[in-house]
Formats: sequence, structure tokens, C-alpha cells
Amino acid sequence: MNNTFTSGIGDDAVLEAQINLPYTLTTGKAAGTFLVALDQKIILGTTCEKCQKVIVPATDYCGACGGQNVGFLEMPHSGAITAVTKVDDKVFIFVHLDGADIDLLHIFHGDLSTAKVGARVTAKWPESVEVASRITSLDGFELAKDSAVGSSKPFTGTIEPISEMPYKLSLNYKHSYGPHYGRMFDELATNQRIIGSRCSACHNVLVPPREYCDICYAQTDLYKDVSDAGKLQAFSIINLEFVGQTRTPPYVYGEVVLDGSATRLIHNIGGFDITKAKEILTIGMQVKAVWRPKDQCKGTLDDIEYFQPVFE
Amino acid sequence: MRNVAILGVGQTNHARRRTDVSTIGLSREAVLRALEDADLTMDDIDSVVVCSGPVLFAAVNQPEKWLADAIGARNKPVVRVTSGGGTGLAGALAAVNQVRAGHANRVLVIAYDKLSEGALQYSISTLYDPFWGREFAVGIMGFSAAYWKSRMDLLGHSEEAAAMVSVKNHKNALLNPYAHVKKEITVEDVLNSKPLCWPIKLLDVPPISDGACAVILGSEDAAKKSENPAWIRGMAYYCEAENAAYRSMIQSEPLTIAAAKVYRQAGITNPRRQVDVVEVQEPYTCFELSYYEGLGLCPSGGAAELMASGATQIDGDIPVNPSGGCMGANPIGATALIRLAEVAQQVRGKAGAYQIEGAKVGLAQAGGGWANLRGVAVVSSEKG
Repeated sequence: MNNTFTSGIGDDAVLEAQINLPYTLTTGKAAGTFLVALDQKIILGTTCEKCQKVIVPATDYCGACGGQNVGFLEMPHSGAITAVTKVDDKVFIFVHLDGADIDLLHIFHGDLSTAKVGARVTAKWPESVEVASRITSLDGFELAKDSAVGSSKPFTGTIEPISEMPYKLSLNYKHSYGPHYGRMFDELATNQRIIGSRCSACHNVLVPPREYCDICYAQTDLYKDVSDAGKLQAFSIINLEFVGQTRTPPYVYGEVVLDGSATRLIHNIGGFDITKAKEILTIGMQVKAVWRPKDQCKGTLDDIEYFQPVFE
Repeated sequence: MRNVAILGVGQTNHARRRTDVSTIGLSREAVLRALEDADLTMDDIDSVVVCSGPVLFAAVNQPEKWLADAIGARNKPVVRVTSGGGTGLAGALAAVNQVRAGHANRVLVIAYDKLSEGALQYSISTLYDPFWGREFAVGIMGFSAAYWKSRMDLLGHSEEAAAMVSVKNHKNALLNPYAHVKKEITVEDVLNSKPLCWPIKLLDVPPISDGACAVILGSEDAAKKSENPAWIRGMAYYCEAENAAYRSMIQSEPLTIAAAKVYRQAGITNPRRQVDVVEVQEPYTCFELSYYEGLGLCPSGGAAELMASGATQIDGDIPVNPSGGCMGANPIGATALIRLAEVAQQVRGKAGAYQIEGAKVGLAQAGGGWANLRGVAVVSSEKG
């Protein structure tokens, strides 16, 4: 289909979106103990009860054979570099701690050119840490030329492990509008008009507009204006509060089939006394878009404040 | 087609929050129990299928890599199947197909979610189109409640009928050693509970759980060494277009298609009479009513009457969710596989306190996505 844009959303436009998710991780016993031990400048490993491999950092299960790891080992602070890379301004190394069967990844404090594979290194501890019981409670490793080869010993102290750790994911996305969404949102912002695309085979009008019909798999061939009023197909009254919510309860979630379209549009139903929603709203009733003032329209579905019941 | 059987199953002790284990420790618990039940070790397993819910439920991406290490799956084929709430059954189907194709003799399916770690409704809201509707999303609950209201008006799926589902499943969960919600409630309690997304109220909603389930599937040859395998008599998992023209939200089209296919495979012409026990994945009470109709246990619009008749109670003629269903525990990614494991235990005669006497044919149902993914399975004590 041929697109002519009346305002800013071009073919190469992107929607910048962010997802911010809070988590509370559960560490498991071994990782929870390992992290607390770092605060005391102790590097803990474990031994697999099946294959006897010595694993650092301590883990609950053995990656080599799936066995249960038992007991903790206090590892020496010395080892040798087995691999190295530089990312931005940080040098990362894999360190084979003396006595371990697996390499540990951490930061190398020194120049990349000196981080040779096989070079001896020793643990470097921070003077203070912002947050305790993190992998950063160990600052990393630095060169320790000709350092003696150490050995692990059974850990005899007692450490109260942490079991939980707060964590955050902040994910930034750039979603491409593509040819049809750009036109659709342009129409919303510029003309306060909702458009769909018509299937060349079944002639149903699909909102939002798309290249192919989901049922016929035939190409759509025409943009069609649809009404900003339609039938309330379903609704629920929202009292639930949750992280990331964009509206303040109570409000009404609704799905509307706009007149002239064959698909459902998700929005809010408003403009009436919400405490009487159960009595006022009925399935199949007519609702109509209430638009924000034109100068506030930005080319999103939020240009429609809500859909309001039409009382005849 | 080659016969496939369930050789062993295992579940964790589900909880609102398991602080004693990490995600992989939780999954491992179910795996060790399934191996013990099947009298096998990891050496006997040819292939592994890992299932979990939408990835943002947890903060670890590609978790199958992490999990494979913890169960000794190193150097074995490992794939992850993710298909929303129904992922456990989708994973079981992948395993069935591996066995049928002759690719593997025994396949381990692990399904889990540790929902206490993340922000549930927010992460489910990211299933919506980022341009088109995400800002209005209320997880899956707002949507589910909206179409329950439609079914209420069109099919008579009343709040009272749904409340009876809740009462039944809560009561059954009292008998289930793996369930973590153990509470006897009344219809009035449900009707008077706090509205969350009306018509969905607090007691229409299953708990948020940490839990895992593992099922070992094997060929006919592998089943010879098994004392009482549960035979897969049919299994299917179907999808419909999420926002296609005139999508029916009243009766689920993919459920109807999946059920028809599975009944044909299993030789079932009258499920109400031929099936002995049913486990459905009811993320909210209203869905159990809808599934009665979709699975053909009653005619369209007959669910409330079926519920009120007592037929789906544990002592009824077509018991549904004798394990308590999702009301006892709902670790979303594991839930569908738990339904399959529960009907397998029933036809193996190993369902303990909630065993349906003489159960030979079991029906399991699963669902995910935007209510657009639906799966069905029939298991039997007889090979067929």
C-alpha cells in the first residue's frame, strides 16, 4: 500500500519504550554463602559429591555431572590467568584459582598488555563497598609475579547465607512503526481519525491496519476509515493495583469493536459514575471515543481519553 | 504411530515463596522425584525439554542452559519450549514427538516458574503490542474478567457458578500434599471477597506460586520396564490469531479444534461418559466453566448447570480437578505439565488421597498466551 504521511511519523520512525522490572532473586544456599563470605575476604568453593570436582564460585550443583555439591572449601587467593578480554575500559579475565577445577570470571586491575595467559594473579579487595554481599565485594585480581601456588582447605567457619537479593532489569527498546502503524498514528494525531486496512479477499476491515489478513492470508489492499464509536464487546472493573500500572484504580478495562471494523480495540471506558459501572455498562452497548484536545494529541491511543457510553 | 507412555512424574512442594532454593534448585527437586518415580537415572534420559513461562517472569535469560547444568543434562540434547501458561503441555507434546519420531527413547520434560521473583501482572502486560494496547493492559486478568462478563450474559456463567468452582477446587486441594493453599471456603466467601477485576474477585484467583514439575516420557520399549505406565492416547496444542476479524471470545476455537483432534486420536465420542477424571488449567474460576463446554463435557451454555449438579465434584461422575487444580498452587510455567502429571497419576492409581477409584482414562487441558493457545491430552492405563 502507498503511504503518505501527513505529519511526523515516517517509515523509519521508532517508538522508544522502556520496561523497568523489579525482581527479588533467590540465591540458593551456595551462592548465598559465597557472597557473604566475600565480605569477610574469603573465597568459597565447593566439591561435588559425585565427581569430586572443585567448583568456584560455590554452587549448589555440579555443572560437570549434575551432582550435589557438599561442604565448602576456602580457596587460596592466588591463581593464573586463563583468558582475557577488554570491554570498554575494563579488562576481564578468567582466573584459574589454585586448586580449582573451573575458572572464575572477574575484573583485572592492570594494563591489558600485562594480562598474559598464564600470568600469576592475586585477589584485590575493596576498601569499602556500596552494597555488601555482592560479587563486587571482591574487587578483582592484580598481578602477583612469582606468587606461591596455594591450595584449598575445608572451610570450618560458620556463615549465615543470604537467601534473597533485590535486582532490577531496565530494558530499552526502539520499536519500528513500519508502514502501517505510522500512518495509523498520524491519522490519530492529525485528523483524530482511526483507520484500518481492508482484506482483499474477505473485505473485513482490520484495526490496527496490517499487511495481511489473519484469517485469509490475503493481502490487504485499502485503508478504510472506521468510526470512533462502536460496540462494547467486553469490560471489567479494575480495582487491582500492580507494579507498572499506568492508570489509577478504579477504572474500566474495555474491548470495543468499532463500527466499520471487525477486530477488537483495547481501551478504557469512562465518562460516567464508576461506582455504578455494573448497572450502567452492558455487553453490546454503543460507546464513543472522547478525544483529547487536538493540540495535546501525540499519535498514540492515549489521544483518546476513553470511550464513553452512548445513551439513546 | 508409535505408542508413547508416561514413565514417571515429580512435583515440588509448591509455595508462595521458596527461599530455600534457587530456580534451578526448585526444578531439580521435581526432576529427582520424577527419576525416582520412574526408577531411572539421568544416564537413562536421551533428551531434555525445558518449559517456563514468559521470560520476563524471571531475570535469567536462556534459563535452560543454567538448568541443564544443575540436573546433569550436559552433553544431551536440550531445547526450551515457551508458550505462555500452557507451555508445560506444549513441551510434553515436543517430547512425545521426539519419542514418536524415534529420536529418543526417554525424554525428560521439566516445567517450572519461580513467580515470587518478578512482577507478575506487569510482565504479563508486555505480551500486548507496545503500540497498541499495552498502556491499557491489566495483565491477563483485566482481559479474562472482561470476557467472563460477556460469557456471564451470553452463556449464564454466573458469579455463583464460578464461586462453586473455587469452593470445589479449594476443598480438593486440602487432599493434595503438593498444594500450598489449604483453605476451606464457602460460596459466600468467594462472592464477598475483594473485587480485583470485577467480575473476578480475590477468591476466583489462584495463588502466585514457586513450583516445578517433571515428567518422563518413553517409547513402548522403554515402558516395558515400567510397572504401570500411563499411555498417551492423544495430545494436541493449537493456536488462533489473536486479533483476527470476528475472533470468538465466547467459545475458544483452538480448544474445540484440539479437543476434537485428541478425542479422534483416543477414540472418544462421548467425553462425559468415557473419561474418568479431568484436570483443567483454570487461571481463574471462570475458565473452568468455559472449559467444561469447550471440552464437550456439557453443551454450550450448560456449564453453570453442570457445576451445580455436582457432577464435577470429586465424587461426581466426571470429577474435574480432584488435585485442586490451580487453586492449590499455580506456578504458571509448570501448571500445564502438572495437569498432565495429575491425570497420569490417576490412571496409574497413584493419586493418593484424591485417587478416583478405578480411573482408566484421564483428560488434561492447558492454555496460554492471550487465551489463544489451547492444548488437550488424553492418557489411559491401557495402551489402546
